[in-house]
This record gives sequence, structure tokens and C-alpha cells, in this order.
Amino acid sequence: MSGIHTSISTLAATAQPASTEIPAPLIPLLSSLTSLIYTIEHLFNKVPGSPIIVRYIKSSYQDDPWRSVLELFLLAFAIRTVLKGRTRGEGEGKSFIKLTEKEIDELVDDFNPLPLADDPTPADSFTLDTVPTIYGPNGIKVKTSANGKTLLNLATPNWCGFIENDKMKQVAIETLGQYGVGTCGPSGFYGTIDVHQKAEADIASFIGTEASIIYSQAFALVSSAIPAFAKRGDIIVADRGVNFGIHKGLQISRSNIKWYAHGDMKDLERVLQSVERDRKRKGGKLTKKFIVAEGIFENDGMLLDLPKVIELKKKYKYRLILDECQSFGMMGAHGRGITEHFGVPANEVDMILGSLANGLATGGGFCAGSQVVCQHQRINSSASVFSASLPAMLATCGSAAIDILKAQPNLMTSLQSNIALFRQQLSKLEGDSKDALISIPSDPNSGLIHIFLLNPPDSLEEEELILQEIVDECQQTSNLLITRARRLRSQEVFEPEPSLKICISGYMARKDVEAAGRGLKAAIVKVCGNIVNKVDADCWFASWVDY
Amino acid sequence: MPRSTRRSGSSGTSTPPSSLSSPPSKPLFPTISLRSSSPSSSSNKELSSSYQGSTPTLTARSSLLNVLTRPHHSAPTTSISMENSTNNSSSDEDTNYSDQSTISSYASSIISGTHMIDKTNLTSEDIAKVYENYLEKPFVNTKSTIKHSEFGHCNNPNWRWTSQWNPDEPIHPAEEPRPPYFTLLTTYISYILLIVIGHMRDFFGKRFRPAEYAHLMPQNGYAALNSDFDSFYTRRLKQRLEDCFARPVTGVAGRTIVCYDRASTDENKTFNLTGTTTRALNVSSYNYLGFASSTGGCADAVEACIKKYGVSGAGPRHDASTLDLHVQTENLVARFLGQESAMVVSMGYATNSTTIPALVGKGCLVISDEFNHASIRFGVRLSGASLRSFKHNDVDDLERILRDVISQGQPRTHRPWKKILLIVEGLYSMEGSLVNLPVLIELKKRYKFYLYVDEAHSVGAMGPNGRGVCDYFGVDPREVDILMGTFTKSFGAAGGYIAGSKQIMDRLRLRSHATAYAESVSPPVLTQIIASMGSIMGVAPPLAAPADIIDDRSDTMSIASRPTAYGPAPTYILPPWMKLPLNLLNGTEGRERLRRLAFNSRYLSSGLRKLGFIVYGHRDSPIIPLLIYNPGKMPWFSQLMLDRLGPDRTPVVVVVVAYPATPLITSRVRFCLSASHTKNDIDLILRACDEVGGLLGMKYGKQTMSVEEVISNAEELVAASF
Ligand SMILES: Cc1ncc(COP(=O)(O)O)c(C=O)c1O
Repeated sequence: MSGIHTSISTLAATAQPASTEIPAPLIPLLSSLTSLIYTIEHLFNKVPGSPIIVRYIKSSYQDDPWRSVLELFLLAFAIRTVLKGRTRGEGEGKSFIKLTEKEIDELVDDFNPLPLADDPTPADSFTLDTVPTIYGPNGIKVKTSANGKTLLNLATPNWCGFIENDKMKQVAIETLGQYGVGTCGPSGFYGTIDVHQKAEADIASFIGTEASIIYSQAFALVSSAIPAFAKRGDIIVADRGVNFGIHKGLQISRSNIKWYAHGDMKDLERVLQSVERDRKRKGGKLTKKFIVAEGIFENDGMLLDLPKVIELKKKYKYRLILDECQSFGMMGAHGRGITEHFGVPANEVDMILGSLANGLATGGGFCAGSQVVCQHQRINSSASVFSASLPAMLATCGSAAIDILKAQPNLMTSLQSNIALFRQQLSKLEGDSKDALISIPSDPNSGLIHIFLLNPPDSLEEEELILQEIVDECQQTSNLLITRARRLRSQEVFEPEPSLKICISGYMARKDVEAAGRGLKAAIVKVCGNIVNKVDADCWFASWVDY
Repeated sequence: MPRSTRRSGSSGTSTPPSSLSSPPSKPLFPTISLRSSSPSSSSNKELSSSYQGSTPTLTARSSLLNVLTRPHHSAPTTSISMENSTNNSSSDEDTNYSDQSTISSYASSIISGTHMIDKTNLTSEDIAKVYENYLEKPFVNTKSTIKHSEFGHCNNPNWRWTSQWNPDEPIHPAEEPRPPYFTLLTTYISYILLIVIGHMRDFFGKRFRPAEYAHLMPQNGYAALNSDFDSFYTRRLKQRLEDCFARPVTGVAGRTIVCYDRASTDENKTFNLTGTTTRALNVSSYNYLGFASSTGGCADAVEACIKKYGVSGAGPRHDASTLDLHVQTENLVARFLGQESAMVVSMGYATNSTTIPALVGKGCLVISDEFNHASIRFGVRLSGASLRSFKHNDVDDLERILRDVISQGQPRTHRPWKKILLIVEGLYSMEGSLVNLPVLIELKKRYKFYLYVDEAHSVGAMGPNGRGVCDYFGVDPREVDILMGTFTKSFGAAGGYIAGSKQIMDRLRLRSHATAYAESVSPPVLTQIIASMGSIMGVAPPLAAPADIIDDRSDTMSIASRPTAYGPAPTYILPPWMKLPLNLLNGTEGRERLRRLAFNSRYLSSGLRKLGFIVYGHRDSPIIPLLIYNPGKMPWFSQLMLDRLGPDRTPVVVVVVAYPATPLITSRVRFCLSASHTKNDIDLILRACDEVGGLLGMKYGKQTMSVEEVISNAEELVAASF
């Protein structure tokens, strides 16, 4: 029995003999008082943990009564701080300086903020000026000025030529006649149209997951779906090479993020082990653990070793968030993505994020996974809850494109043969040979190809300049539209190296692909192999650095 | 008074409207003139005194039982209110007035082709018969290619208004309307009960039916994806309302919408479609100007675009996915808003979340209204800037914070802030309240912060020219540093825009995440934007183009030059292949839509107030939140509006919102009006609210007019300032 009990019973015991001296009428009062104390004590004892509290108070009082007083103070102080913390405002912290109204007025007068946008530097203008504008429809053959020449477009993801697909145009027009353009509401408020549900079911059954959910933009999907699950205190193990959208998602999640070297499965295992060791050492609650990676990496076209990741994920009990924004519609025998490419059942991946804009040439993105995963996002993913749903025609075109992909596996085979043909043209410039100029880390099956300079100049800016020169050269002499990979310099978490970004389409004629490969090769040789030109570039660069 | 000049009919309301077939609506009190100094207040007193004697005092519960047990077709509540107004008017000299109500005149004009039918002869079956095709069949005949079910035909010029700030009307009510304490108490008790019962169910459920809680528990070494604590609200509170959300629909979200009927057998965990559909009046979609449409000039333009461009925006803008169409749209948007330059993004949410980080960063401060949209909060968190929020629309609190932050500087170091960005919304989507822009502009001059206004809901919906809150308040748009908005709402398209000075836009084009990494806007969506925006602006005849080009670049607008500044779009801005019909090109259609929306908004907002509901927001706001408070009433309200008890039996779909979108106790239903609604539609909504709101005991305020009085006094209510 706890301490209070004994002390009270002694109190009651001493009360009894004393009762002889107490006037008779008071006795019933006293006894009822004791029974009240008894019941309270009894109730208190019933509260789980109460003996511990009592013992603690008792022992601390015995040891040092002052300590109890101090602790009481501390408790009061803690409560006060908590309550005060509620009243928001960081200014009212310790460093708050009390000022008179007049002083504040003066400070307000003196306040001289930076301009909202700084003046563009020459590098900025250079970047903006090199953005091509396409006149007329996008597709395999485009014009970059109203009456300019026709260029072969190697800059837009169009793996199966869906951009110019007539079937999809027809579907879009039919949808327009029934649904109009906008949905005028988020999916929670009468924005869930039957065609969205059909598209979601189509995607899920195509990829082979239980369910899927569509978003109205792939970038927002990636940066919002991750924090819908990963919260503060959770653990995310991510590839260092992931794209910008994932970085933003990781940032919002406020989880505990561990990086592993890009594409290095040994390093991944090392990180997983170290997390495990940490957890064992510290003990503590079981937290959610995620591995985040891309199927085909947007920043360099490398392929994820999915079977190995699945193995590790199972071994260490992680959930896998796989961004297939590039690989969906590009990899696998039917374009199902890298799960199909590796023959891994899609439901072994917990979340597959994909882009309808890249893969199927419509718009929006999707997350495929289990019913629980998708349902959770409908309520908890900010970009899904607080944004209007995807226009109906983009959803129906997505469904139509999936039907085409299912029915025509030859689309993928011709994409693969075009990729192989193109890579073949460039193979002489790659590798360890003496006259190698470039390196292409991209997977040989990837339609997205990044070309890096083997001997880059010292600064990123200079490198960008040289790459732009290759882009211009391609356009002028070989009628090719290619692009430098666009980066948000100074906003990236790990600055990616500058590169050229090429998108091959299965819809391109073989001779065009061949010519494109040759043209690009010639341009690279001309720009990088030509020292005079390089000096030129240096001078130009120097001129606007001085500026 | 400037008010009267803003009405489209040049004379007052006592003259019958010129339209041929719509019913004349005479005022109940002929003495009220628009020019009298306080028209409505005097009339209200009279009204309330004559009305209150006969107010049916039905408690919510008894009437609910009454409804549930009564045969299908009779309608006690409505007949009470009808009797009521008949009594009312018979005591008045002018017995004709009650006949002017639109329900009877709508019915009578269809039944007999005359207006002079006595209402008392109309049984509810008659009315029901008349309303059978109400949603599809137009009441007036207009030569329009647009379906009545998508965009209501309504050509009475008296049912128009201009959305413009009247300095006599306060931007915010002096004090927020408060419900009776009893309501507050029951609301709190409801939530406490819900929470207690929820926890009890969790407690026992986990022990007796662990299978159903499996996904909330750690499982063979995996932590639960969603902890039971985090999902408590969703499982235990929201699930009870689940049927009010995410109803699947089909077709255009226009004036009406077709919902799939569904039922749940497992306490709203899953729903099964029953296979039938219901067409309902739609006051839920953000279709402010009624441009969500599958037919008409805009749709034709979009079709032409799909044939020419296909559907895809494909890659990011800075790779080769900038089309001429993007540039044309951006020029038009800049022109529309009166800004130098603009940029379009393929998603409204992402417009905020990808540009705010490009504007501010570490060492900068963002001051944000406490009710700002999730996308803004997301963007601010990404930016790494410090955040302070001020009380919703409270400029005094804002000024206090400004003085505080400027004088204190950054935390700990006390270095001055690099820049301070104030982010507000033009029109708040849950409150219906307008930003106090004139005061913010004053504060901006003093405190040198930058102003970012999210006009997602106000662009197109507010202002005499539909250009948003700047237009509404008569503020030079270039006084605002950044104007952001979305195309999902008024323009019936998708995506969002950012507009500002050329320098800022160039900066954003370089630094915004969207230009480098997000897909570009798809061509059909761009076409919808160009067509709808162009038709609001009107397109200048080709001859005017050269002059326009010249002063386009240089002029900075002042308030004095505003009428010209918001002029028509120059022809060269539209893509040459785009063919728009004349009524869109000359801007008449756009103007008409703006004026219809303004009338509808003001009418419903005023009407609901007169009926004794607590309504938030500004009367010019097309978003009208009507307070429910008790969470238990939300599913009832939603369901009863759909099932409808009244004789017209026309279903109405509404949006109910509760915590966490609103503060805990102020659950509400939110009406989003549209130019596509006709006055008859608003009448119908008023009747429906009266009937359902009366039944559920939602008239927390003081009712000063009966519903038929409100309906016959529509124009006076709109014109009056109160
Ligand atoms: C204030 C505000 N900003 C941004 C958005 C997002 O726009 P969208 O639905 O086009 O993504 C919304 C939409 O609900 C909004 O209310």
C-alpha cells in the first residue's frame, strides 16, 4: 500500500482516541470526513502509476524538502512557458528589446529592404535568351520561329509520339463536348469526375497496383505526396541524385534524411545498416522508414537497380517511394516503367509516382500503390486536397494512351531501337579512348539521355556556355533542337553538373535518328575539339564575368 | 447616389422590366426608392413587425420527425411560409404582390401562359410538375448555343449589378455576427461527445477487432503508415460526413451538375454506386463566370486548338516546351491585369508553392494572413523565410506586427530583414471576406514591405471589369508587386498565373521551380484561358492595334486613367487562328456575365441575411458561407438540400466545410455562385435554405423578412446598403 494510505490511517487512528475529548456532536462529522478521505485516497490509488508518484514525492520530501518546492516552481514555470509559447511571435523571445514608439518610428523610416527581385546578371539574361519558343504545335518536327526551318525535336519527352497522336486528339475533342475544359473544383468538392476514376483505375490495372490517385501536376505530386507520409522523426534514405521535386518533398517532410551515393547499392546497404545500428543503440519507438529513389533519374538518365533495392527494402523493412516520372511510358515491354523492365511485381513497391505529362503526353501525375496509400493522400496530401482536379480531357487522353500502350508493344520496341541507334552514333566519343569527349551515364535503354563533358572547364558557367554552343551548332548545321539541362543554380541541394539533355522518341524515323546522332557528334567534335572556339568562349565568358 | 447609375436599367425598379417573358417583379413597398437615404432599414422595421407575429416556431427536432414521417409529396414548411406571405400581403392593400413571386409566376407562365394565376390554386403537385424539367429547360427563350443546364438563360436586365467598392459600405463588418450561446455550447458538446466516443471506439475496437485496425498498428517490423492519433479526426469525425465529400460527378460543372447516386453499407467506409444519377443545381463549383461549358464560343476555340496543337504541354517550359501559345497567353494575362508581364504555370497550387521560394529566402520575412491557402503555406515553408501571421484581415494587428518586426529585426542577430513580403488573398475562399486593399496600400507606403495578392477567387469574379480586387477597389494594379491567380475558377480552365513588373517576372522565370522542372500548360487549357479572358476584355477592332502597341509598353496606370487602362485586348494578342463569335469578341457577353454574377452574389447574400441566417463575408462576394455550427447538422443540411422537401423538389448540391478547413466551431456551408445561375435559381436556393435551415434550426440570427418577401424584393435588397 502506498504512503498516503498509511499516513492517513495513522491520522485516523490518532483521531479515534482523541474523540473522547471532542464534543459528541462532532464525532459523526469527523467520521464522515475520514471516510471521504478514504474514498479519495482509494480513487487516487486506482489511478495507474499513482504509487510511483506518491513514493517519489515522499522520498524526495524525506531527502530534501527544498527540492520539492523547487520542483513545484519548475512545474509552474514550465506550464507558464507552454502557455506563453502559444501566443506566437518570435520577437517576444529573450532577445526582445523594448523600444519606444518614437524609436520604432525611426527604425521604420530607416528600414531599407532589398529590392524584391535583383537585377538580372548577364548569366541570367543568357539563360532566358536561350529558351526556345516553338511556333505551332509541339512534336517531333517543330519550328522555333514563325517562318523558320523545321527542326527535329530532341528536347521534349515524347517517347511514343503521343503528342501528335490523332486518336488522342479525337478523344480530347469528344471529352470537350461532354465535360468542357476545367473542372472548377478540387476533387473533394464535386471535382471527382467519372473520367478521373476511370483513369485512376486504368493506371492501377496497367501498372499492376491496387489503386492510384491522380494529381493535376507531376511536380506538385512528387513534392506533396512524400510529406503526406513522411513526417518529423521519420527516416528517409534517399539517393543523392534524386530530382528537384523530391528534394522539395523531403524538405517539407522535415524527416530525418540520410543520403546514399548515387546509384551505389553497397552504400545504400551501409546507410541502412547504420540506421539500424543507431536505432538499436538508442532504442525508442518504431518510426516510419522510407527509401526514396527514381526509376530513371531525371538528372542523368541512370537506371535504378530495382531488384536490389527491393531486396534491401524487405530486409531492413523500409517502404519504397519510387519516382517513375521519367520511366513510366518509356521503360518495359509496354511502358509500365522499371517494374516491368525488371519483372518486379509493381505491388512490391509501396508508392510509384508517375507523370502523365512526360509518359503519356497529356498532363498531371499519379501515385500508384495500395488502397490505403491512395486513400490517405486524398485526405492528407496538400496538393491533392487543395487544388482543382485534372481537366477531364487530360484524364481521358491518359486512359486512351494507356489503351494504345497495352495494344501496341511495338511502340516500345521502336523506341528501344531508336535509342540504340542514337547511342551507337555517339559511342565513339564516349569511354576511355584517347579522343573521348563526353560521358553518358544514362542507361542504354533510357530514352532520356544526358551528355556530360569529359573535360569540363573550371567553372559551371563556362561549361554551360560550351554546351549552349553545341546546342546552337546542332540547330544551325543539322536542324536539331536539343537543350541544355535547365537547372536552378543556387537553389539545388546538390548542384548537378551541366549536361545536354536529349529525348529520343520511338516515333522518329530511323534515318532521322541516325542523322541526329551524327549531327550531334559533329557538333560536339566541332565545339569541344576546336581549341580556337574554346578560347572564344572563354573570352566571351570573361567579358560578362567582368560586367 | 452613384448606386443607381450602376444598375443597367436607367430607371428605378418601379417600372416593369423590359424583358418579354420574365415576370415583372414589383417591390413589396412601393415607397422605397433607390435614392432614399436609408431605404432598407425603414422597410425592414415594417417588415419585421408584420412578420414576426406569424413566424412558425418549429423546433428542429419536431419538424425533422414531422418530415420523416409525413407522406412524400406534401410540404408543410413551404406551405407555411407561403401561407404566411399570403396572409401578409392580404393584410396589405396591395394583394398582387405575393403573386409576383417567381415560383408561382414561373409555374403559372408554364401552365397557362399568363402571369395572372392565383397562387393558392397551385398545389404542390402542380409545382412539382412545373419544376420537372426546371434544370434543363430554359424559362426564357434566347438564341444561345449554350445549354441551359450549363449556363442559365436569363435576360432580364434588372437582374444585373456591378461589382464595385462602395466606400459607404464597410469592407468588414464592425463585429462578426455571433450565434446564441446555446448553439456554441451544443457545438462544443457535440465535439466533445464525438471525441470521447471516438476514443472509446478506438479503445475497444483495437482489442476486439484488431483486423480493422491493422493498418494503424506496427506490423511485422513496419511502423504504421498512418498513426491512429494522426488519423483520428479523419476516422472519427470526417467519416461521419463522408457522403458530403468527393461525390463522383459527370459532365460539366456548370449551372447544374450530374452526381452519381451512391450508398454505403459499412458506415461510410466505402460507397457503392447505385447506378442512377441525379442532376442538381450546382452552387459548389468555382465556376464564377460560367465558363465551364462544353458548348459555345470558348469550346469551339478549344476544339480548333486541339486539332492544331494536340493536348500536351509535355516537358518543362525551359526545355523546348514553350509554345507561341504560352507567350500569347502571358501577354494577354498581363494586359488583362494591367501589369507589365505575366507567367503561367500548369497548376494553381504550384503557382504559389513554386514562386514564393523564388522570391524570398533566408533572412527574409513573410507576413501571412492566418487564413491563407495551403499552397501559400507550402511555398513559404519551402522558401526558408521566417513567417509571422496576423489575424485574419485585421489591419491593426498587421500594423502592430510590422512595427514589431521592423524594429526588432531578425531574431537574435537583430539584423534588419532583407525584405518583408506580405501575402494575402483577394477573396478568402472559406470566409467570403475581401482583403482591405486600400489600407494595405497605405501601410505598404509606410512600412516598405512587398505585397503579394493571391487572387485565385477574386480574379474574374470581382470588379466592374472583372480584373479582381484592384479593379473592385479602384486601386492601380501596379501598386501591388505580385498578383497571383488561378484559371481554375472564373475562367473554367486550369493552372495559375503570376504577374508583376517585367524585372520581377524575368527573375521568376529564372528561379521559379515550375519553369525548369514542371510540365508546361497544355494547349487546350491555354486556349480556354485566352478565349474566356479575351471575351471578358473584349477585343479591339484591328485598326486600333498599332496605337495600342505603343502605349502598351510604357504606360503606368493611375486611378484616373483606369477606364482606358482596363481597355479591350488588342487583336494582335489573340492567336490568328482563333475564331471567336461576335458576342465574345465585342465583350458584351463578358460584361453580361460579370453583371449577372454581381447581382446573384449580392442577392443571395442579402437574402440569406434577411432570412435570419448567419452569413459571413462581403455582400459582393460570390462565395457565401452560411454558418451551421453544430457538426451534426452538416450531413443533414447537405442531404436535405439534395433530397429537397419543398414542392419544387429540385436537388441542390452544396459544399459543407468543417474543421480543419475552418475554426472548430464555425462549420459552414459554402455557396459559390456563378453568372450561370438565373434569378430563379437563386430564388430556389433561398427557398431551399429557408425550408431546410428552418427545419434544422439554423436561423441563428433575427429573421426580418419571409422568403417570399425576399424574393419579390430582390432588386431592392441588392441595391440597398446595409
Ligand atoms: C487562394 C488559393 N490559391 C491557390 C489555389 C490553388 O489553385 P488550383 O486549384 O488551381 O490549384 C486555390 C484553390 O483552391 C486557392 O483558393
